[in-house]
Amino acid sequence: MKALLGLVLVGVALAGESEVIARPYDLWEIIYKIWLVISVIIYAVVAIPSLIFMIKYRYKPGEREKGDQEHEGHWGLEALWTIVPLIIVLYLATHGFALFTQMRKPPENAMELKVTAYSWGWMFQYPNGKTVLADAKKDTADQKCKPEECYSVDGVTQQYVYIPAGVPIKAVLTTYDTDVIHAFYVQPAGVVQDIVPGRTTYVWFQINKPGEYWVFCREYCGRWHSRMFAKLKVVPKEEFEKWLKGEVADLNHENAKLELANIESNKAQEVVR
Amino acid sequence: MKGAIHVERPWFAASFWEWIFTTDHKKIGILYGVTSTLFFIVAGLMALGMRLELFAPGAQYLEPETYNWFLTVHGAVILLWWAIGIWGAFANFLIPLMIGARDVAFPRLNALGYWMFFAASVIALLTFIPGNEIMTMWTGYPPLATKEGVGYAGTTALFVFIWHLTGFASIAGAVNFITTVVSMRQPGIGFFNLNLFVHGIMAANVIQLLGVPAVAGAVTMLFLDTYLGTNFFNPLKGGDPILYQNLFWFYSHPAVYVMVLPAFGVISEVVSTFARKPIFGYKSMVVAIWAIAVVGFLVWTHHMFVSGIPDWVKILMSYTTLLIAVPTGIKIFNWVGTLYRAAIVYKTPMLYALGAILMFLIGGLTGIPLGIPAFDIAVHDSYFVVGHFHYVLGMAVTLSAFAGFFYWWPKVTGKYYSEGLGKLSFWIILIGSNLLYFAQLIIGIMGMPRRYYDYPPIPEWVRLHEIQTVGAFILAFGILLALISLIKGALSGEKAPSNPWNSNSLEWRLPSPPPPHNFDEPPKVEENYNPHGYREA
Repeated sequence: MKALLGLVLVGVALAGESEVIARPYDLWEIIYKIWLVISVIIYAVVAIPSLIFMIKYRYKPGEREKGDQEHEGHWGLEALWTIVPLIIVLYLATHGFALFTQMRKPPENAMELKVTAYSWGWMFQYPNGKTVLADAKKDTADQKCKPEECYSVDGVTQQYVYIPAGVPIKAVLTTYDTDVIHAFYVQPAGVVQDIVPGRTTYVWFQINKPGEYWVFCREYCGRWHSRMFAKLKVVPKEEFEKWLKGEVADLNHENAKLELANIESNKAQEVVR
Repeated sequence: MKGAIHVERPWFAASFWEWIFTTDHKKIGILYGVTSTLFFIVAGLMALGMRLELFAPGAQYLEPETYNWFLTVHGAVILLWWAIGIWGAFANFLIPLMIGARDVAFPRLNALGYWMFFAASVIALLTFIPGNEIMTMWTGYPPLATKEGVGYAGTTALFVFIWHLTGFASIAGAVNFITTVVSMRQPGIGFFNLNLFVHGIMAANVIQLLGVPAVAGAVTMLFLDTYLGTNFFNPLKGGDPILYQNLFWFYSHPAVYVMVLPAFGVISEVVSTFARKPIFGYKSMVVAIWAIAVVGFLVWTHHMFVSGIPDWVKILMSYTTLLIAVPTGIKIFNWVGTLYRAAIVYKTPMLYALGAILMFLIGGLTGIPLGIPAFDIAVHDSYFVVGHFHYVLGMAVTLSAFAGFFYWWPKVTGKYYSEGLGKLSFWIILIGSNLLYFAQLIIGIMGMPRRYYDYPPIPEWVRLHEIQTVGAFILAFGILLALISLIKGALSGEKAPSNPWNSNSLEWRLPSPPPPHNFDEPPKVEENYNPHGYREA
């Protein structure tokens, strides 16, 4: 019993400790920690008696050659291990329900970021029309891009997707009607949302700590599914505003338009065998 | 009838033509077993190929198309041939023996079912011909699956036909087993003293009968969309890709209970036999099996929590999903209860069954958060899901299947397997799988998406992928040892008596291996017959 109490206390301590790096990840962490503590306790409650019985009730010639044939059930125990798990899962589902409602509702002041997924890459459009493209295989940042504004993975150079720190973002997610299903996953925020052709969905997140973070595609979408990522650069709000007004915007906007024109024609070629 | 002349000899002495034209449930069971196991090995080797590719970030040995093809075939084969198909083997061989029947109700339909399954196997092998690879993933979501060709779906038709043919085999099997158990039991064997394995198979087959038509319809629409220009799933013409997901998961979620309920049955048989004690809480076990089968039909949208369905549906199915944990928990607690005041004999099947219980518990506990949308939103389509279902399928189902192999091996072949190798194989499999699947759970919590051919060089991810690959090879070695133990036993093992494990179940009252017509005269069961009881050899 003391061990159980200890575990619960550790769980509570863990829940209270950290500062919020990203939202709604902080809400996710609550349900994660509750689940982890409950799971470890349940595992112990099953595994420890099992191991004890496995050792204690071994077959011994002459002494214990067969089990207790009368021991076929116990209504009290069986009722107990029906009702207690029932209460636990009802609690988990209800707590999850409450958290989920909060996780889905974007704050009023959220900045809208239009995200378009295509096979295979992402297009991010800011409220002022500035566009950043992250393509799986082609350079979308030109040679002149400032070193701090782009990165390269496996020889493909891309622009960072700038995100202001501490500002809630509502990502409005679409893809082309002729495209396939993708899913938008912001790693630090712990949110996934499918992007289904013909539907517009949304997800919101907020990252408080400046730094570099990953965006991945989370729904299998063909050849370059695994290369369909983008990198977020979370910067203080002032720096973000400066970047948003920066002149690279126009250059890149042209680039993006061309790119999008290509996407449609490429797709037609690839589908035809 | 011509067939009746031929079946004077036991199954292992049958000629090639007898194997082709047989309607004997034991031979058909063995055919299912051999086919399923061969495909299990193929799917396992493909998994090793993928693990090698993922050992380090960046492109290693495979093209992305090859990887996606491996992954599609690995998933489809492990689910349809192994996790579902292998129970076709056990059910065919054992159910008539367990209920005291001479064969199944419709032996010819049974044979047709197997040959449909065989045809599906041929189709699966066709995907190995260059240019015919399928890259739809086993789920085959449109619109991707309707885009035939390299880089997208590959050859969608083969994917559709695999579903049709295995689906036909499933329905044929379901009609057969349900009829057999309902109408061909010996007097004295009723609903509440059937083997739990029979209950597991029955519940699984009821699910098959009700569910397979949904997925068959879904893939048929997929076929029409791809080749005949219909627009069921085409948003440009008013279709909806989500419709496919609903139809697909309406069957494919309950399908996981088709895989796992027979596994529960095997665990119950093996645990009560080697504990030398009746199963604890038999009635609640039966109720739990059927409760899982029924509630299992009301939970499918948890596979679609992030696909854009309304939030209220997510909440509703979150409750029903978590409700399944209750009957599942009852089963686990009852197995533990069976060990209390038992006399446990540690033979290989018992090790596999106990391992299956303790590993299934991890699979179950990691399944609960996936039913909570607030949790799922971060780990949907991540390696956490991969780890979860590998604990269920790669551990609970596979360990139970091997428990079943070792347990009934003396009955099927008439020879003991090799005990030392069998036990060794269990421990190696346990270590390998835990390295592999636990690393998947951790990397999933960190955010690694599933179905990735490549991943960015994040240091912790690289380390966890290395651990997985090492675990996969240890696991493969363990499976190899287990197969050697079995085959060595069948070839040169010690001769087994009719009831080597002191079980009271009917199949152990026949000689090993059973004669062609099973029971020469209808077996009379004693009053208060308990298939999970102890019986002196």
